[in-house]
Amino acid sequence: MTTTVTKTRPAPAPQGKGPRPRSRLTARRLAPYAFVFPAALLFAVFKLYPIGWSFVLSLFKSVDGVDTYVGFDNYGRLFRDPLFWTALKNTGTILLIQVPVMLALSTGLAVALNSAFLRARAIFRLGFFLPMVTGLVAYGVIFSVLLNQQYGLVNWLLSNVGIGEVPWLTDPLWAQISLGLVLTWHYTGYNAVILLARLQTIPGELYDAASVDGAGAWKSFRHVTLPGLRPAILLTTVLSTIGTLQIFDEPFILTGGGPDNATLTIGVYLYQNAFTYFDFGYASAIAYVLAVLIGVLGLIQFRVLGDKS
Amino acid sequence: MNVSRRRVMGLGGALAASAGLGGLTGCSSGARSGSAGNPAKGDITVWSWAGPAAEMRALVPKFNKLYPGIEVTVQDIGNPAIWDKITTSMAANGAGLADVLHIGVDYLPAYTDRFPGQLADLSRLGAGKYRTAFADGLWGTVSRDGSRVDALPWEANSGGFYYRADVFEDAGVDADALDTWDDVVEAGLKIKKKTGKYLLGIDKPASQQDSANLFQLLLQLQGTMYFNLDGDIMVSSPEAVRAMTLIKKMNDAGLVNDISGGWNALITSIKSGTAAVLPWPTWFGGVIEDSVPDQAGLWRVRLPPAVRRGGTNAATVNSTHLAISGTSHHQAAAWKFVEFVLTRPQSQVQIYKAKGIAPALMGAYEDPVFHQPSKFFSGQHKGEVFLKALNADSPAFNYTSDYARALKAVTDAQTRVLLRGADPATELRGAADQLAAQTARKVAR
Repeated sequence: MTTTVTKTRPAPAPQGKGPRPRSRLTARRLAPYAFVFPAALLFAVFKLYPIGWSFVLSLFKSVDGVDTYVGFDNYGRLFRDPLFWTALKNTGTILLIQVPVMLALSTGLAVALNSAFLRARAIFRLGFFLPMVTGLVAYGVIFSVLLNQQYGLVNWLLSNVGIGEVPWLTDPLWAQISLGLVLTWHYTGYNAVILLARLQTIPGELYDAASVDGAGAWKSFRHVTLPGLRPAILLTTVLSTIGTLQIFDEPFILTGGGPDNATLTIGVYLYQNAFTYFDFGYASAIAYVLAVLIGVLGLIQFRVLGDKS
Repeated sequence: MNVSRRRVMGLGGALAASAGLGGLTGCSSGARSGSAGNPAKGDITVWSWAGPAAEMRALVPKFNKLYPGIEVTVQDIGNPAIWDKITTSMAANGAGLADVLHIGVDYLPAYTDRFPGQLADLSRLGAGKYRTAFADGLWGTVSRDGSRVDALPWEANSGGFYYRADVFEDAGVDADALDTWDDVVEAGLKIKKKTGKYLLGIDKPASQQDSANLFQLLLQLQGTMYFNLDGDIMVSSPEAVRAMTLIKKMNDAGLVNDISGGWNALITSIKSGTAAVLPWPTWFGGVIEDSVPDQAGLWRVRLPPAVRRGGTNAATVNSTHLAISGTSHHQAAAWKFVEFVLTRPQSQVQIYKAKGIAPALMGAYEDPVFHQPSKFFSGQHKGEVFLKALNADSPAFNYTSDYARALKAVTDAQTRVLLRGADPATELRGAADQLAAQTARKVAR
């Protein structure tokens, strides 16, 4: 790109040579579009097109290998499908139990990592963030080995302190607990870093003022820290909600959605319908319902937690 | 940066939509068409997994002596990863599909029904002349209408009953005298009492699809499977209830070890010798030999006992096949390779010697290797044990395109029976009804 942009007034072009001022203006106007075009094109091809085509797919069903238009039948089928409701319930359970616990832990961790009393702070921050950079499949496999009822390290350690075998992945309730623990291990540090970043923007004067007013540690946390963290809490809540509703890798690798569908999530059920049963229309319908759910829950969270002013 | 809430919500909506909706694009039927190409020239790619991939790779130098112009690349995609890879390629109208595909009997009907035309019709390449070359019943699997040929059979796995001879001896049980699975349960009680070992292992929470293998074996020994030949649902048939009741009986008596955790847990359990019996098909013999070479002489094998007294103990429980992609532009060259691997007895003998994979090609069994005593299996003629099963009358099983759904319904039912003590008949009836609602198939009652 040779266009000069530093001059406030372009020099008149010699007659018959180079672009005229009007053309140069047009080129300047077009320049940002030229820069944006590749990204817009990629977005259209890899995002907009799949989104649109998924909806089209959701209106079709394969009959004898031929895609047949069935209108909204796939959506109606969802309401009559007990496995879909099981998946929805399991995902909702994670959302209502694991996410709040994890965010509370993240908040506590962020406050601790921000403390002036903490030494080797960088090492702790790195330590808690490291799980986030571990590959999803890799850590899923590692946990499935660690939590194996008979041959896993966790039960071996527990047996050494006199605790019997825990059916981490083989009992429906324990499998749900295990999934919650694994998710918490992976994402707590990530959320803590977001909260920590926000925590560091809260002016120290506010704490000084609170202290002068006689506020103790708890009152300072409640009346200074928490309100200050509000935007970060909103962000982590919305991101965790979206992540939880789409959760796939961990239950798929740890338990395959079992036992007895106890850890079957909407993501896993969507995958099963598409790539195990080849029912792409139905899987697309699940994807659309999932997207609507994410949108609605995001909206509610913004309403409840967002800045009222 | 100042970002309005409306903007953030808009962004969130877009994120949500793209997050949930991407990934299914391109999933539609209709294949591009390939071509035969030059039968003596071309680069072909083969998709398989683990042992079979290694064995095909080992055959390539000999193949190239006959066909120097055909370059073969065998890729070990892994199992079950290969099914996802084939599915996504077929869903993308064959884009990226290998020329030769190794496909199990449980996936073949689903691929041919859901993606018609994505597998080449091998009858056009001359497959018809091998119609009688393979084990009984397998031609019907690869050529369902009798004229079109979707694949050629490779393995024909018969149900087997591998057992630790030393454990049986310690418990004072004669394995050869077990006529029925009720006898096996009685033997299991003695083994548990005398040696403390489990009778067998099952992945009770169904962490892997293999968890229903014993249930399927017990069904097939009774001549039935999840669907009848008309495609009607049979998972709640009297035979199925009997099979699940037998499994419950073993479990309730404390004879079933939980081997959840997939392949590694299974191999670990074999190494630690927790169970006396491995009711696995032919190919598993090679796995036992590879896994516990130090246990040579401790293992024996026989065909499984019948479910009912006087019933059969021979069942071809599964098979695998080589197919050619309908979009391949080197179908003729790919066929030459498939023909070389599957219809040439020397190739199948070499594979059997290396990995114990049982050929569907009956001509291969004339080789002495199938009739020699096995040092590992206590001097038994292991090859002949399974050959006897292959030569027995074997009913055809209709896996249908809904096998995967049926397997899911059945494994869920089995998990409830094993982990919660649920009633087999009730659970299987529920599984049948669920399957009927999902597939619009009739339940044969």
